[in-house]
Amino acid sequence: MENNIYIAGVGGQGAIRLGQIIANYSLEKGEKVKFFKEVGMAQRGGPVHCEIRIGNVFGSRIPPLSSDIVIVMELSEGLKSLEFVKPGGTVLLNKKKVYPIDIMTHPEKYPREKEIEELFKETKAKLIWIDAEKIASEAGLPIAENIVLLGALSFISSFDKMSVINILRKHIPRELDKNIAAFRAGYETAEGMDK
Amino acid sequence: MKKLLTGNEAIAEGIIESGVNVVTGYPGTPSTEVILTLLPQKEKLGIHIEWSVNEKVAFEIAAGAAWAGKRALVTMKMSGVNVIADSLSSVAYSGCTGGLVIFVADDPGVSAGMPEEDSRYYAKSMIVPMLDLASQQECLDYVNVAFDISEKIGGPVFLRSTTDISHVASDVEIGKKLKLEKREAHFERDIVKYTKAGAAWCMAQHQDTLNRLAEASKIADNYISESGIKINETHIEKDSRYGVIYAGAVQGNFQEILKRYNLKLSWLKIGMIHPLPEERIKKFLETVDRVLILEELDPLIETEVMRLAFLMNKKIDILGKLDKTLPVIGSYSFKKIKKGLEVLLKIKLESEQEPDILERAKELEVKRPTSFCIGCPHRGTYYALNKAIKNLKYKKDEIIITGDIGCTILGMSKPFESCWTEVAMGASIGIAQGFKWAGIKKPVIATIGDSTFFHAGIPPLINAVYQKVPLTVIILDNGWTAMTGFEENPGTIPIKENDNFRVDIEKVCRGCGIEKLYIIDPYESEKSTEKMMKAIDYPGVSVVIARRECALQAKRRKVKLPKFRVDVDKCTGCRICLNQLACPAMVFHPKTDNHKAFMEINSTCTGCGLCEYVCPTGAIEVIKDGK
Repeated sequence: MENNIYIAGVGGQGAIRLGQIIANYSLEKGEKVKFFKEVGMAQRGGPVHCEIRIGNVFGSRIPPLSSDIVIVMELSEGLKSLEFVKPGGTVLLNKKKVYPIDIMTHPEKYPREKEIEELFKETKAKLIWIDAEKIASEAGLPIAENIVLLGALSFISSFDKMSVINILRKHIPRELDKNIAAFRAGYETAEGMDK
Repeated sequence: MKKLLTGNEAIAEGIIESGVNVVTGYPGTPSTEVILTLLPQKEKLGIHIEWSVNEKVAFEIAAGAAWAGKRALVTMKMSGVNVIADSLSSVAYSGCTGGLVIFVADDPGVSAGMPEEDSRYYAKSMIVPMLDLASQQECLDYVNVAFDISEKIGGPVFLRSTTDISHVASDVEIGKKLKLEKREAHFERDIVKYTKAGAAWCMAQHQDTLNRLAEASKIADNYISESGIKINETHIEKDSRYGVIYAGAVQGNFQEILKRYNLKLSWLKIGMIHPLPEERIKKFLETVDRVLILEELDPLIETEVMRLAFLMNKKIDILGKLDKTLPVIGSYSFKKIKKGLEVLLKIKLESEQEPDILERAKELEVKRPTSFCIGCPHRGTYYALNKAIKNLKYKKDEIIITGDIGCTILGMSKPFESCWTEVAMGASIGIAQGFKWAGIKKPVIATIGDSTFFHAGIPPLINAVYQKVPLTVIILDNGWTAMTGFEENPGTIPIKENDNFRVDIEKVCRGCGIEKLYIIDPYESEKSTEKMMKAIDYPGVSVVIARRECALQAKRRKVKLPKFRVDVDKCTGCRICLNQLACPAMVFHPKTDNHKAFMEINSTCTGCGLCEYVCPTGAIEVIKDGK
């Protein structure tokens, strides 16, 4: 068995933290894990992406058309994952848009949701839209977008809920309760969509 | 026990498990995390661990410790090997008694801007054996392997990693701590071995070095590490006349492709890439008619394989970089290696995403230009510098500003577009002098960070004073080696975690003979601009020290600064603040049916206050002062 997860976002969204939690969860489950992260100028709002490979894999990077799950934390950054989406895989599309300066003044330059959705549809993957920021806000912690997405992923990948929460306890330095609430809300959202 | 470790963290674990006594280094992507991981445990581990002032000093400290019989390891990125080369060449000749390991991380694919230098050439030119790391488990295991070989041959050993090994995490088996006998520091006086006076001694040492190299190759060829990894390994596929010779980080993608496409071919993995296992390679070449060499960066193994095939008088197709099957530039992705194997095996392997999808995606991609962090003092420095140049009635494109390594180089980007050049640690000050001697009449300005100044900026400054070169040097002193992850340097503010002595840059400059020196606070724009103007106008060497702590570190240390907000009634939505400062804490709200255009300062603002100074309508105000 092999499970490849690709996460795309921008600095400050907690993409790497999300990847770390998934990687550590899998390690504790006794799996072989590879975790690649591209941070670059993340501190300065730059692109961030990471890849988690679970199971009997050798390379640290997901080969083309092999990502079972893609988590798009920031919409336009998701475009970079298209090469890797597996036909029949799942793409979690977060509604979040983070504008660099020239887009702030010309928002029309940002790709339209429809255009992005269309491209992902052509990959023959299952698309799931989620408004992680809204769900996180309702859980009392707007910045816990990544944890909401972790919840949704945990449902999709049939992760053991309690084990993931235990990993959260180790990896979340502050506001643990609100993070757990965000996690549950994300999990339930994905569960609700499945029904 | 298994733990999720990056290659660099695994090296740190290997250091702990191998009984190393002294660890030194200078930060540089992708090597930095080895020491970053160890430093907080320094006391507990009882290991001397330090960020040295530069790689050369770090290496010399490690060499001294190894000469006294202890195990010592020094870390750096590939650029750092250029800095240590002078000392390494001599130390390699002398050898050592305790183990001496030089850990270097190369950066194929350029994750941090710098030349894609191939440090493997140094192993050849310095006559030092080099192990090439191919997995995170090897990172841990090979620390001890390297020390073991170093102590057996009595000379230094290179341990070389690349970004795809150092920065990737994997499950690593840990916990096999080595029990070394306690060693007393002891150094025996032996000038025939440890000095270079006279041709006879030098040439005898040269011979010793060559002997050690040959010995290392012998030891390594059949070496198996603690967790069972063979340094050099041959796999012969009986029914195949195709083969691959590989080394380093390509292993993962190569093995992945073999598995995925169920390919059967012979392969030879080389773990010690200098000296190469010649007999093993020859034996391998006897079994194949067509061979692909997989190695990142230069065709170093490839040319040696050609030489060996020539000596064997064997007709064999050798594929790699020289025949353009694969590129010299960049790291080897899954796709590149797959292409190499397609050429080798003369087959087509599926499959890739529709090019049409990728092209359309590329067109839609949003560019995210790099800028200074929120509250970065360098923003204020470059803002004041540009303003000073303008006030002195120079055009922006007629004043050359040389840049240097580190965060300060971001002054090259929009909106400041100040720096023109970036060369090497400390080089901004030397290059600037060249411009003056070439006859550039207008002022020339060099910018440099604090750590970079300590590293290699002082000799060129002394040169400028001594040679009387009219020049302005701006030292952007944020107190940290920030770009690589906030390491301390001799100018770091003493804080409780690191009870260090702070070397005062002002005194250093005065000691170098600088007479015109200004200290500015980049958060105080008006005064900064005035002082910069005076410095630029000065006909000799002038120095401006822009002193303000790195905003991210200041925030971490809870340094109190004012809080700002935008008075929406006064804001005209002119965006001057955004265009001139490009601060990521600023959010522009375009005009809608419900509201006019206006700016917002979001909660990530750290309170540098530059926007308040820049705003033409006084719309930005302090809501809470920092006291």
